Amino acid sequence: MTPFLDIQNIKKTYGATVAVQDVTLGIGRGEFVTFLGPSGSGKSTTLYVIAGFLDPTEGDVRIQGQSILSVPSHKRNIGMVFQRYTLFPHLTVAENVAFPLRVRRRPNDEIERKVAEMVRLARLETVRDRLPSQLSGGQQQRVALARALVYDPPVLLMDEPLSALDKKLREEIQYEIRRIHQETGVTILYVTHDQEEALRLSDRIAVFSQGRIDQIGTSAELYQNPATRFVAGFVGNSDFLSCRIDRVEGHSARIVLPDGACVSGVRSHGTVRAGSEGTLMLRPERVRIRNAASNTTPSENGAAGLSVTIRDITFLGDNTHFAVETDWKQPMAIRVPFGRAGAEGLAVGDRARVDWVAEDAHVFAESANG
Amino acid sequence: MLLDFDRLGGLKWVLVGIGILVSAFLLLPILFTVALSFGSSQWLLFPPPGWTLRWYEELWADPRWITSTLTSLQCAVLVTLLATGLGLLASFGLVRGRFAGRETVRALFLMPMIMPVIVVAVALYAFFLRIGLGGTLIGFVLAHTVIALPLAITSISNALERFDKAIEDAAILCGASPWEARLRVTIPAIRDGLFGAAVFSFLTSWDEVVIAIFMASPTLQTLPVHIWGTLRQDLTPVVAAASSLLLLFTLAVMLLAAWFRRRST
Amino acid sequence: MSSISIPNRRNAAARPPPVPSSGVSFVLPALLLILAVFILPVVMLLLRSVTEPDPGLQNYRELFESATVARVFVNTFVVSGLVTAIALLIGFPIAWLLVILPKRWADLLFGIVILSMWTNLLARTYAWMVLLQRTGIINKTLMGLGLIDTPLPLVNNLVGVTIGMTYIMLPFIVLPLVTTMRAIEPDLLRAAALCGAGRWEAFRRVLLPLSLPGIAAGGLLTFVMSLGYFVTPSLLGGAGNMMAAELIAQLVQSLLNWGLGGATAFALLVLTLALYAVQLRLLQRGRSQRGG
Repeated sequence: MTPFLDIQNIKKTYGATVAVQDVTLGIGRGEFVTFLGPSGSGKSTTLYVIAGFLDPTEGDVRIQGQSILSVPSHKRNIGMVFQRYTLFPHLTVAENVAFPLRVRRRPNDEIERKVAEMVRLARLETVRDRLPSQLSGGQQQRVALARALVYDPPVLLMDEPLSALDKKLREEIQYEIRRIHQETGVTILYVTHDQEEALRLSDRIAVFSQGRIDQIGTSAELYQNPATRFVAGFVGNSDFLSCRIDRVEGHSARIVLPDGACVSGVRSHGTVRAGSEGTLMLRPERVRIRNAASNTTPSENGAAGLSVTIRDITFLGDNTHFAVETDWKQPMAIRVPFGRAGAEGLAVGDRARVDWVAEDAHVFAESANG
Repeated sequence: MLLDFDRLGGLKWVLVGIGILVSAFLLLPILFTVALSFGSSQWLLFPPPGWTLRWYEELWADPRWITSTLTSLQCAVLVTLLATGLGLLASFGLVRGRFAGRETVRALFLMPMIMPVIVVAVALYAFFLRIGLGGTLIGFVLAHTVIALPLAITSISNALERFDKAIEDAAILCGASPWEARLRVTIPAIRDGLFGAAVFSFLTSWDEVVIAIFMASPTLQTLPVHIWGTLRQDLTPVVAAASSLLLLFTLAVMLLAAWFRRRST
Repeated sequence: MSSISIPNRRNAAARPPPVPSSGVSFVLPALLLILAVFILPVVMLLLRSVTEPDPGLQNYRELFESATVARVFVNTFVVSGLVTAIALLIGFPIAWLLVILPKRWADLLFGIVILSMWTNLLARTYAWMVLLQRTGIINKTLMGLGLIDTPLPLVNNLVGVTIGMTYIMLPFIVLPLVTTMRAIEPDLLRAAALCGAGRWEAFRRVLLPLSLPGIAAGGLLTFVMSLGYFVTPSLLGGAGNMMAAELIAQLVQSLLNWGLGGATAFALLVLTLALYAVQLRLLQRGRSQRGG
């Protein structure tokens, strides 16, 4: 089955610099897909190609099987919410929302009805006759949302729509966006560099890095099974340790840490080759820490471990954060949930033992400092 | 889109076309004058039948051109000094001072800029005739200073507004006297504003025609007055030569200003 | 000129209240000069309009009743209006280009505008006198192309004045417009396009209304400056169709009629100040709208 919105092999170059390449992605009707990545990773460029602000050097964008590249922006029937509200400053809230219908020459009674509907959906009844300069940032962004949805576009693009708002407002609008997505069933393509926002909002996330998509998947897939070291580092917190890859069997690898410790049963990703350097990735909450003296057995039920020195302990309420250092001076972070046994009595400067279940460890081919 | 040059489609070429036509409209008269100043036709035929330096020689040989240029220079330099100096003092008073009617004074200083020049010219003409300053260099300088002051004060005030007075206070805490602090710290910091004021004042006086026409006497004329007088008689190519030299001078001032701005940033 | 803003007090407000009436002595020299060499002469001129030749308002009666004066003011308004309209029509695309052109080309175009503005006024007017004369290059080209048989009368009439003044006023339209248009976010036009507005709709409903403050500022500035312009009308215009500034000059210089000259000057002054007041009001309204 062909996807509703089909992005095929988009490439965009400016002279010798490549902004985006090999971006391919199929999006189903009604899906909420987020482009997540640092600035300059190509996520906004891809969005601009879909909006028609940029022509791709190669590739195609299709909606329901029809290429839209030759269609000018104003005929694409796509909605968009920009980073900075971009409301028309000379028009009131209601006039801003009515704008797309006015330029479509819809009859007045229809405009009135649709605007009233959108004003209600975006909860703007009390400010409908104000100018944008008289609104708060959150209200302005809700007007932008209403304006982008009033003409029932099948696709809504959102380019970092919350980056200009403070944290509390951001959460409030995130909730609004989700509610509106559910109520309208519009297909949303959302761009952000904020992983928390991406995890919270999306059905699926496409992680962008250096002009390419590194991985596409649900939040859980990205977190539990990152395809690259970059994804592992960008989605969720991680500890990275350099290591050497000893043996690879299918998706399982045996690695050697710098202190000589051998860990087998590590999940390998990408082109991990035996004998090469790699990076071991652990999630801080999947690592256990305990007093080095209390238990000298290095591994039990498939657990691997190493000795560390505690450098800092921060109590954060529901969990405690340990900053530790391996014997070869690599830092690690470990989060211990409140109530888990084993970490009592540990103090800064103590030697300690950390261990983890082998299958919670991942190994990537890229080097730790790469 | 309408503000993305590359997404304008056909409109882009319409705009570029208008841009080229208007650039031609703005440049051609200037280039044309330069070409004519080297043309050999007394009647300003174009294209000229031949090329000559005759008009520049005539210009050089006529003492009235030289003396009026010197008068203009003398007047413009004095106006520059006076307007920048008075403008600096007034800006300090307006920006730093607190006194009743400050806003009125500020508006008063800007008045000569929005007043039609012809009204100022006629008023000063009558006034200077009465007090005996008509046709004198002092008269020229005073009149031009009055119309140069608004620009000078605006330029310096804006620079002074941007300057953080805490730096001057710091200099005083370091042991400088208030006057020494102003001289060594504040004035160097606002030198762009001072330079702008000086350039505006100079050009205001140097280019000023209307007041000068009324003020001039047969014995004391500025360069614009002499050009004006010549133009009213006939369209001699000598004026083209003078215009070309003035253009060269303008270009030099523009380049100097650009160079100064680049050096100071 | 319109780019000159009245300095604000932001910097000073943060400091402790200084001694009352400080700074007067700094302002005094310039103030005395303005009072003595500007305010006093202007007031004296205006007084002559009600004292010469006899005390009373007869000069103003003449001003309003004379057909000559009426025609001069009609000329002045027509030329000023035409100059403003044409300069706006030409200036708008130029300002637009200056905002969107790639930097190198924008710098070049800006340099051309500034060069023409800074070139000596008389040099520019002289160029147009030569270009527009009966045997000038424009008439010759038009005849050479076979468009006309006899030279067009382009100089010594209001056509020449309008062309010459449009040339001189163009930068005063372009500069305020550039300031206004540069402040318009390109994303607004992108948003308009995605909302379904084609080029014309986006222009009519977004770009033009948002450029309006610049159009109003530049247009008023040009109109007001044109009303009182003297040099170009005198050199490019004809004896039969004077403008207001020429009338004032002629009244006091040739006719020595200081009473009527003063009255005309007063009329021009009132017109100018009234239009500036309108502009100031527009500016304030625009600011309060944006500031919210």
